[in-house]
Amino acid sequence: MSKLGIFDVAVRYGKVPALSDVTFTVEEGERLFISGPNGAGKSSLLKAICGAVATAHGRIEVDGVVLNGRTPEAIARLGLTMVPEGREIFGTLTVEENLRVGTGIRRDKAVIETDIDEIYQSFPILKERRNANAGALSGGQQQMLAIGRGLMTNPKLMLVDEPSLGLAPNIVDQVYETLVNLQNDRGLTLIIVEQSSARAARVGGRMLLLRGGAVVGDGDAAKFAESDLLKEAYFGQDQAEDAI
Amino acid sequence: MNAIPQLLFDALSLGGIYAMAALGIALIFGVMKLVNFAHGEYIAFCVFALIVPSTDAVAVMFLGKAPAIILIPVLLLIGAAIAVASEFFVFRHMRNATPVAMMISSFALGFVIQNTLLLIYSSRPKAISLWPELNQPVSVAGASIPLLQIIVILTTLLVVVTLALLLKRTRIGLEMRAAAENFTMARLLGVRANAVITGAFALSGALAAAVALIMVTQTGVADIRMGGQIMLVAFIATVIGGLGSLPGAVAAGFLIGAVSVILQGFLPLEVRPFRDAFLYTLVIISLLLRPNGLFAPKSTKPRV
Repeated sequence: MSKLGIFDVAVRYGKVPALSDVTFTVEEGERLFISGPNGAGKSSLLKAICGAVATAHGRIEVDGVVLNGRTPEAIARLGLTMVPEGREIFGTLTVEENLRVGTGIRRDKAVIETDIDEIYQSFPILKERRNANAGALSGGQQQMLAIGRGLMTNPKLMLVDEPSLGLAPNIVDQVYETLVNLQNDRGLTLIIVEQSSARAARVGGRMLLLRGGAVVGDGDAAKFAESDLLKEAYFGQDQAEDAI
Repeated sequence: MNAIPQLLFDALSLGGIYAMAALGIALIFGVMKLVNFAHGEYIAFCVFALIVPSTDAVAVMFLGKAPAIILIPVLLLIGAAIAVASEFFVFRHMRNATPVAMMISSFALGFVIQNTLLLIYSSRPKAISLWPELNQPVSVAGASIPLLQIIVILTTLLVVVTLALLLKRTRIGLEMRAAAENFTMARLLGVRANAVITGAFALSGALAAAVALIMVTQTGVADIRMGGQIMLVAFIATVIGGLGSLPGAVAAGFLIGAVSVILQGFLPLEVRPFRDAFLYTLVIISLLLRPNGLFAPKSTKPRV
């Protein structure tokens, strides 16, 4: 079970609004892309969900449990994990230590070792470098590690912020293939921030389009890739008309 | 007389004290970016915990009367307790404050502790004799070394090894290292902020107690100002070591100890009283050359 509900949520940094009155729900097992131009509030939205930034108002719920006001560590215990923008792996820890940081919240200690083996099967390069400092990994390997680290918390809902940032296109393909496989295997609910609507359309799923901190579109990613709505979101209405 | 082994033992034992004090500061800085200037006062507090509270000039042993096997663990617990209490009553309420604001409150807290000691014990330094037999010289490699120096060196080794094992091999150690590198990310993975910070303060306070025991045995004096000087050196060691780096703090502690002993031993007699001026000149030069510290942690920026 992992149904996410966002109701009327706003986020402000000081007086600067980052997100205003955003409302949507995500069903269990769904794959949702969040797209939009820089400054649209995509990262702020993910950070609000996982408790890294406070909401100014509104309500965030997972399976009916209200997340607002809970600490990030309490939210993680509800089965929600974040793979942040820029990976944020622990560079001074080894690869395997990175995988183990998030296992402290699990009650099923017995299967942790099997889970680590499973991660190593999905990402053989991580097994090869398990005792290396994670800071020495390449960008693509760090992205794999960040995903693996998130999975080790045994989540029901996974938030992934710009997994393609700074990676070569063939590596991005690999990252998405892995994410989709993991989702199918584990029945994860997956929310991915992705700048490239073309990429989202290829992977497939629902897409939420943000602009200026508000939802301006919600529907099938494949349909979005062809519509004018996307251009409007990125360039504003006038420019979009010019572009046509 | 053999001067070289003598110097070596002096350097290692002085460096060991600095290293332990620097570790106490680096541990807390690592997890919450707080330079805790009250650390020196934790040391003084632990020293005074050994004697009966009174403003009399003559110190009467209280905890100091207990056998070592009770005295040592109890004093370590007292150190841990005052550090944890200061986190609970002061720093916990400043989690979102700037590092500068936290640092200034740590100064304030230090003054509060110092003035509390002043009220209870008066400002007069008191002679106390803890384990005087440890100042008996023993003969090592042709040099006459106080037994205490050897104990200090062994204690430092024990502390560093225990701390390294704790950080490397235990769950709380893993969480502390993760939190020291990226606190928010660690919390997003379910690491409890309060547990990690309380753990760091407890360890830091226990280290202050260890330093207190060594200082009081060595000097035979309880003085409410005794934490200030060592706190200053320890802070410099953590900066030179690269703020946030535990191995750096230990290495820089030993380095400062060694340099002061060498300066003391080799400076011409007439300038020897100004030893600290030379020492701090070297500190300034080292910071000009390596502003991030001699042992700054390697860059952990994500690679693209």
